[in-house]
Amino acid sequence: MLEHLTASPLFYDYLGCAVLLLAALNAAQILYLLWNKARVERAERRKDRLRRLTIAAIMTSPVPADSLRQPADEEEYEACSESIAGVLDNFEGEIAERASDLLRRFDISGHYRKMAGSGRWYRRCNAIDILSVFKLEENREFLLDLFEKEKVKEVRYRILRALSLIVRGHDDITGLEFRLSALPYLTPKYTEDLFYNAVTSLKTAGREEEFGFFMRQIMRDDRVLTLVKRDCLTACHAAACEDARALFRDYYAAYPEEPEILAACVKALARTGDLSLLPDALRHPHWLVRLAALKSAHFCREGLAEEISALLSDPNYHIRLNAALALAKAGERGRAALRAAASSGDRFAAETAAYALGQEAA
Amino acid sequence: MAKILIIDDDEAVRIVYRAYLSKAGHTVESAKDGPEGLHRTATFAPDLVLVDINMPRLSGFEVVRQLKEDPATKDIPVFIITSLKQAHHVKRAAAMGAAGYITKPTRAPELAAIINKALRLPDQPRA
Repeated sequence: MLEHLTASPLFYDYLGCAVLLLAALNAAQILYLLWNKARVERAERRKDRLRRLTIAAIMTSPVPADSLRQPADEEEYEACSESIAGVLDNFEGEIAERASDLLRRFDISGHYRKMAGSGRWYRRCNAIDILSVFKLEENREFLLDLFEKEKVKEVRYRILRALSLIVRGHDDITGLEFRLSALPYLTPKYTEDLFYNAVTSLKTAGREEEFGFFMRQIMRDDRVLTLVKRDCLTACHAAACEDARALFRDYYAAYPEEPEILAACVKALARTGDLSLLPDALRHPHWLVRLAALKSAHFCREGLAEEISALLSDPNYHIRLNAALALAKAGERGRAALRAAASSGDRFAAETAAYALGQEAA
Repeated sequence: MAKILIIDDDEAVRIVYRAYLSKAGHTVESAKDGPEGLHRTATFAPDLVLVDINMPRLSGFEVVRQLKEDPATKDIPVFIITSLKQAHHVKRAAAMGAAGYITKPTRAPELAAIINKALRLPDQPRA
């Protein structure tokens, strides 16, 4: 075939045509990319202008809807909803009320509720993400209904996140946990985020104690995954729960053989300034618990130097290293213990102590 | 009124605070991250800086530390403005030399009062 083509008297004509065709295709591609870039930039500029207009209207006008036009296309809805979300995230009181008023008058929530019924799962995800930032209680029933009907996991996770932002009481939070247990465990960050939202929503509603009740309710509930309990504890700390210290101590006592929970309790409690669990945790048989205690040991300064020194000979490498690093931060007593270990006959202890002293000197 | 610099990686936040503070009569500039914020502080010479904690490249705490270490900027009041509410963040901000710690969402009159107090301006009547 190739020979036939090259032997043809028209070969150079064919070749020339092919080169021209390729060049034309390249030129068309470049033109298309330039046109698309200009189109995207124009759309972004338009959205940016609309966002600024919307925010300016919310900041300056008592009824922002009077000085704005009802959004007409997807871009305008996006600009409007992003502006409102920005305002709601940053302000409460009168300004937030104006933003919510705009939301209702333009029925922006309604637009995204309609979009949440789309046949494409990623459009449903997008709609739910936008609905979630409005934190409207009136969307609860809609979201609960959607959760029951939804088949795609990715969308269901997002619905739960939207629900976590409008938790107002005990039933909401237990409902959230119940629905979460119907889905495979996703990631620690997701679960923590979910319950962090729940705590902050309860705080806003002035019902923070409900989270403490919930935590005590699930403490002995075997149906709830240990990992979920651990993430709830972390969320409780991240959201600075009122009842947190007592909860961490109670969970620590209730789960002597669950290193994930023990480590979470040790870390969280130490960060609140309560170091009462550290001596016990430093002696725990599971390395994760000892590691969590070591990572928080610097809060004690010189207080636990002896207990930490003993861990320089721990069979676990991470423990030895973190013990040495903790001692380096533990004042003169800690450094003296490191110097003693550096010249001891225990090779592992000597190596890590020398490393920590070197790091400290650097 | 005063010159205020907002350092936040979230564009929506920059637009929202710029709109609010401009309406209150201040001259507002914004920066999208720590290094740009430090550069703008040198060129714009703000009377007050509002800075977020979680930002790429340089955290808000590091921005406060660098501003407080520089003799040219150490007297500018720097306020952390964030949604992080844990006590250890508040303590760290104070230790770094921040003039205050504002948690979001905030109420507009309270924010205005904090800024006016820091700038020793009289409180404005509400519009």
